[in-house]
Amino acid sequence: MVATAPPAAVRKRRRKHRESDTPTVGRSRFGTAAANAGGVLFAIVMFFPVYWIINTAFKPAPEILQFEPTFFPHTFTMDNFKSAFNAPFFQQDLLNGVIITCGAVVGALLVGFLAALAIARFQFYGRKAIILVVLSVQMVPFVAVLIPLFLMLQRFNLTNSLLGITLVYVGLILPYTVWTLRGFISAIPRELDEAASIDGASRFQVFWKIILPLTGPGLVATSVYGFIQAWNEFIIINTLNDQAHQNLMAWLLQNQTSRGTFWGPLMAGSILTALPVVIFFLIVQRNIATGLTAGAVKG
Amino acid sequence: MSVVESPPARPASQAPAPGDGRARGRRRSATSGGYAPLALTLPALLLLAGLLGYPLVRMVVLSFQSLGLRQLFGDLPPDNVGFANYVKIFTTDTFYQVVARTIAFTVVSVVLTVVLGLAVALLMRRVAPSVRIAMIIAMMFVWAMPQLVATQIFRWLVDSDFGVLNYLIDLLPGVDFANHSWFADPIQGWIVITTIVVWAGIPFIAITLNAGLTQVPKELLEAATVDGASAWQTLRLITVPILKPLLIIVTTLSVIWNFGLFTQVYVVRNGRPEDEYQVLATWAYSIAFKNNNYGLGSAIAVVTVLLLLGVMAFYLRQMFKIGDVD
Repeated sequence: MVATAPPAAVRKRRRKHRESDTPTVGRSRFGTAAANAGGVLFAIVMFFPVYWIINTAFKPAPEILQFEPTFFPHTFTMDNFKSAFNAPFFQQDLLNGVIITCGAVVGALLVGFLAALAIARFQFYGRKAIILVVLSVQMVPFVAVLIPLFLMLQRFNLTNSLLGITLVYVGLILPYTVWTLRGFISAIPRELDEAASIDGASRFQVFWKIILPLTGPGLVATSVYGFIQAWNEFIIINTLNDQAHQNLMAWLLQNQTSRGTFWGPLMAGSILTALPVVIFFLIVQRNIATGLTAGAVKG
Repeated sequence: MSVVESPPARPASQAPAPGDGRARGRRRSATSGGYAPLALTLPALLLLAGLLGYPLVRMVVLSFQSLGLRQLFGDLPPDNVGFANYVKIFTTDTFYQVVARTIAFTVVSVVLTVVLGLAVALLMRRVAPSVRIAMIIAMMFVWAMPQLVATQIFRWLVDSDFGVLNYLIDLLPGVDFANHSWFADPIQGWIVITTIVVWAGIPFIAITLNAGLTQVPKELLEAATVDGASAWQTLRLITVPILKPLLIIVTTLSVIWNFGLFTQVYVVRNGRPEDEYQVLATWAYSIAFKNNNYGLGSAIAVVTVLLLLGVMAFYLRQMFKIGDVD
């Protein structure tokens, strides 16, 4: 970690003695100040859009619609949130979104855990092929499968239904679920399984009393990420289902295109939609980065 | 940071060493599950086959067929048209323009994201701890933001009448940006789209690379400086080579994601992108679902996947290496 060494001391005996644990050789006080200023500027620029959506959502309509924007709401109002919440289909789509997302997460977790267990704990013919399938399907651009999915679900009368889209979302998050859970399970030392077996535990007991409890945090992280993926999806659901069977993301999209743009309610609705994702994301961020770049470790 | 420490190190017993035979034997006895592994993977395989495998095959079949509203609602079988869809694609100028635009966007956005991400990661090593925390918090919020919401925010930021961007630019002396429309000129429109993508892409890369930077031995950096290497030489000859595996992965992922650009264009153009805004994914979608030409749309999707295949294969190979080890 970077520690700021006392600049004076570093300057005097730059080459010989350093208190910081990172190389501070050749770093001037001016350079550090410039770096700090750059870092602050970067943080402000990155955060500004996030700030702006919050700022807008709490402003009354007349204050939003003026060329000279106010950088802090002069009058605080919750009207935008009320009007978004009471807008047509908002509550319906909120409920749909919760049902679809939770259904998909539970489904993917049940099925995915078993597959992950097999991949992590058994050597069997076709294991590599399964890993390859699991990894490759999530690379395919969604538009590619969207057209046949639409035709397929229509044939089974599953468009405009919550069941159809839930199934599609299980397929959407299953590959990632299997892949991450596999990592969590293989991190559990095999010796624990063996010790339990020697003590007379059956295969099922090993699974139930050793592996499942130890995978607990992994299950939480994986399901939270699955939740985010399913919650954020809107193109498939917007194509397959009508407004009464969509989720909040699709609602946001509809709200934009139907009748001009009411920026206040749209921003308030966006906040309501994004809130669970942001909260969940902050919890599991670490695991997401790990899952995506795991391959880099072995070079 | 856990990025670099994730998979458990290869246990010594698995190395080709005297203990190898014994370790192998133990491994086999612990893992011979008979039909158990197949039974465990069966539900997942069936679901993947039904929801992703079959549709993929169907997409390829569809790309050789003509399927429109007539067949869909008349319940008629689709006509087989051989390579007609592909011939149609490869003989229109639009295709080449769309491919060129998609590739140009991918190259520009990936280079910008990776270079800026690396710069931010390096900056994070130099700033005071409080500043670093501010940077991380800002990036976490950006990273967490759903694509659709992020795009909505930027639509509002660049709104021609009441957008704050026009107001800020208008403040500059001698510049009139009141009621400036950012999407009238496709080049400016693409600048906005690229900004959204790069803004959203920086956090993942910066935070991943910053975690990777903690693995760069400080002795090496010090030795280089003592030997008289400039900051640029140290970066080019020490830091980047050590970061290389991570850099390759984040670049590959960015290429895969940005090549499939859809949401930002679709939302910014209100669901009906003009010709100047079409990329492969939006074009395939428009042809299939707006023009109801599912065969032609599938053919475009197939071409898109084929164009991506090389990059995807590379990523899979990298990911496979750990699947191999544990």
